[in-house]
Order: sequence, then C-alpha cells, then structure tokens
Amino acid sequence: MAEPFKVWQCSNCGFLYYEAKGLPEEGIPPGTRWADVPEGFECPLCGFAKRDFEMVEV
Amino acid sequence: MIIPTEVAQSVADPKAYADDKRAHDAFTWLRKNMPLGRAELDLFDPFWVVSKHADILEIERQNELFHNGDRASVLTPKEADRKVREMMGGSPHLVRSLVQMDNPDHMKYRRLTQAWFLPQNIKKLENRIREIARSFIDRMEDKGGACDFARDIAFLYPLHVIMEILGVPEVDEPMMLKLTQELFGSADPELNRNKKAVDDVAANVNAVAATVAEFIAYFNKMTADRRANPRDDVASVIANGEIDGKPLGELEAMSYYIIVATAGHDTTSNTTAGGMWALAESPSEFAKLKANAELIPLYLEESIRWVTPVKHFMRTATADATVRGQKIAKGDWMMLSYPSGNRDEEVFEEPFKFKVDRSPNKHIAFGYGAHVCLGQHLGRMEMRILWEELLPRLKSVELNGKPRWMEANFVCGPKTVPIRYTMH
Repeated sequence: MAEPFKVWQCSNCGFLYYEAKGLPEEGIPPGTRWADVPEGFECPLCGFAKRDFEMVEV
Repeated sequence: MIIPTEVAQSVADPKAYADDKRAHDAFTWLRKNMPLGRAELDLFDPFWVVSKHADILEIERQNELFHNGDRASVLTPKEADRKVREMMGGSPHLVRSLVQMDNPDHMKYRRLTQAWFLPQNIKKLENRIREIARSFIDRMEDKGGACDFARDIAFLYPLHVIMEILGVPEVDEPMMLKLTQELFGSADPELNRNKKAVDDVAANVNAVAATVAEFIAYFNKMTADRRANPRDDVASVIANGEIDGKPLGELEAMSYYIIVATAGHDTTSNTTAGGMWALAESPSEFAKLKANAELIPLYLEESIRWVTPVKHFMRTATADATVRGQKIAKGDWMMLSYPSGNRDEEVFEEPFKFKVDRSPNKHIAFGYGAHVCLGQHLGRMEMRILWEELLPRLKSVELNGKPRWMEANFVCGPKTVPIRYTMH
C-alpha cells in the first residue's frame, strides 16, 4: 500500500504544503511528495527555503 | 534620483491616502519613472521609496541586511523622532514589539506566540468565530436594510474575535477600539486623541505616548492577573512567557499586548470594510461572487490586495548594498510601499481593477520574509467565515453615501462605508 500523503509546514509563517494537493500554481502537481519538491522551492507566503519546513499533523 | 517634491509629498502625506487616488497616482508615477527614488522633504530625514513588488520582496527577504529597528520603523518626521528619542532614552521607538525588533530577539519573541496563530491551532476557534460572525450578520439584518458597514460591522467583528483570543472582556472592547484608532489614526482629526488637525508635531507625539500609556496601564493589570490565574488565552502566554529563561522585558511585554490588541483587528476590519465597498460599487463582481461561493477565498485575497491596510514599513540598511542597480549606503532609511507593490503592472494584470476571481494574486499585503504577518491565517479565517455566512443571506448591496478613507500613511482603511442592502 502506498504511504499516506503528508503535510509540511513553513516554520516561519505557518504555510501548509499538502502533498496530496501539491501547488499547481507554483508548477508542483498534486501528489508530489515533499522529497520530490525542488530544492530551490521557496514558501509562497514568506520566501523561506525548503529546509525551513517541518512535517506536521493537521 | 531625487523624487520631485510634489510626488514625495504625496507618498508621505496622510491626506494623500485619504484621497487614495493621490497616493496611487504618485506610486504609479514612481513605478514608471523612478522605481527606487530618494525623497528629500524638509520635515523628514531623506528616505528611499521602494515602489516595485520585486524590490520589496528582495529587501524583506534580507532581514539581516535591512533592519526594522535601527531607526524608526514607520515614517516619522524629524521633530517627532527627536521627541521620541528624548522620551525613550535614545531609542526611536515608543514601543518595542515584533515590528521594531531584529534578530536574535525577533525570532525569540515571535516564537512565543507563533504556535497560537498557526492554522492547526486556530482551527479550534472556527465554530466560535462562526457564532460571532452570525451574530453580526443578524445585527446587520436588524438594521433594516441600511448601515455603515465599517462602523457597525467591520470594525466590531474582528475586534470581538481578537479580544476573546487575547482575553480582554467584552465591556472593554469600545475602549480598545478607541485607543487603536487613536494610535493608527494619529494624523486624522476625527480619530486622533486630541480630535484636531495635527499642527504641532511634539503635541502629537505626546498624544500618541498618552495612548500608549493608557494601553500599558491596562495590560499591566492584566499581566498581574494572568500570572496569578493563567488561562487559555494569549495574555497568559505573554504574561508567563520566558525568553532565554527569563520573563519578557517590561517594555517588550507591554508592546506585545499592544500589537495584538491593535494590529490584531484593525487590518482585518479595514480589509473587510474595503472589500464590501468594492462589491457595493461593482454589481457585476458582486453577482459573480454571489453565483459562485467557491470564489470566496479569491475574493478575500483580492480584498486584501485592494485595501492593503498596512501602507508601509521602514527598513534601515545595516551595510552598503545595491538594489535595482542603485547604491544604498549603510544607515539609509527605506520605505517599503505595499500599496505600490500591490498595484505593480509587472505583477498584476489590470492592477486597478477589482476582480473577485483574480488568480494568481501574489500580493504582499502581509509583508514577506521573517517579518511576514503573524496573524495572517487568523485574519483570513475571520474574513472567510464572515463571507461564508453573509453571502447566502445578502441579496443585493449598493453604496448609500460616500465612503471615506482615514487620513493615515501607516495603517489605513475606510472609516465609513454607508451601504443599502436587501437580505434573503
């Protein structure tokens, strides 16, 4: 069985990245795992880097 | 690169923001002709005006190179700056909250309440906020088809929400609103403490300081109470919080209460009032929204962009820097103009049109980088809930008089939005 989708959160502003939803407006299709999000990804709300995100339970 | 005096005056003058068009005309001119120009006005120390969306992002993301707190964090006349420093032992700030701080303090103080304002925490408030929203919509219905949406609804609903979160009893809400308006409306003769035009800068600083003192007296009592009887509210977090193992500094604690008790509702109120204003004068946009409630999130973002209630923050360069090819010297003062960034023709298609379905909408009304608004998720949630409840009940709306903006160059929104409406 495939691993359930997870949610990642920007530690600065609280923006939530849902793997299931992706971020189509930023060119990241639904279902994109966090590991597959490009390393140059920046939080769309505050510009913090991918490394500043943490996995969270929502 | 010196901005023509008339344009620079429109950027600095609170009355230009009350006119709205005058401020936007100045910023439109700047974006086209002098996107990073230097304002040299007699009343102020020279400052750069950052008018482009991309430059605001670039500066905000470099929060070590461009500090908030080294000089006044909002545009302050020379005479007022001198007076504040005299009162505050050399500091340019009457209060020391997150917006006047830089690292390492900023991060430590932000972390103190950050968890409270995260989406997963405020979700638990959804039902209660919905109850409050419904009570205000009932009140609107009771008004019988005409009200001042700003004063009767938009100012009071976010006020009630944030005061519950902070822990201020309902009976004190009118006082909190009055003090907030005195602070943000300090240049507006109808709102400021002395209820008159500002013709004496020093007297105006004294008036603002008196408002701050009133807040401090109130929150000092609250601190004592929450230390003795902690509750599940933000006041208890501030009163009992620790930074590096010690209680918050006295000025910092009082400033924390003040920022929550002012910025925690006024900006949401401004956006709510301005969003209604825009719908009331655009029947086709109202019809589009009415026909498709799924547009509410986009409508809210457009309202936030449209109003942009925080008009600017100042930054100070901590070292020589270059922005847009322009040399900025260490110590230079820079105005980040959010309304200008949010009308930037390079980012927004038809920026002067209000479109309930605008997408994408990468506005910067909440700021960007380390100082991005802590309460943005709460503000969005409050507005979403209000419109989820109001839209199905609101059949029609139109202006019932001339709305007016307040006179302010820092936090500014509509002060009156008379509407006529029918409800289902």
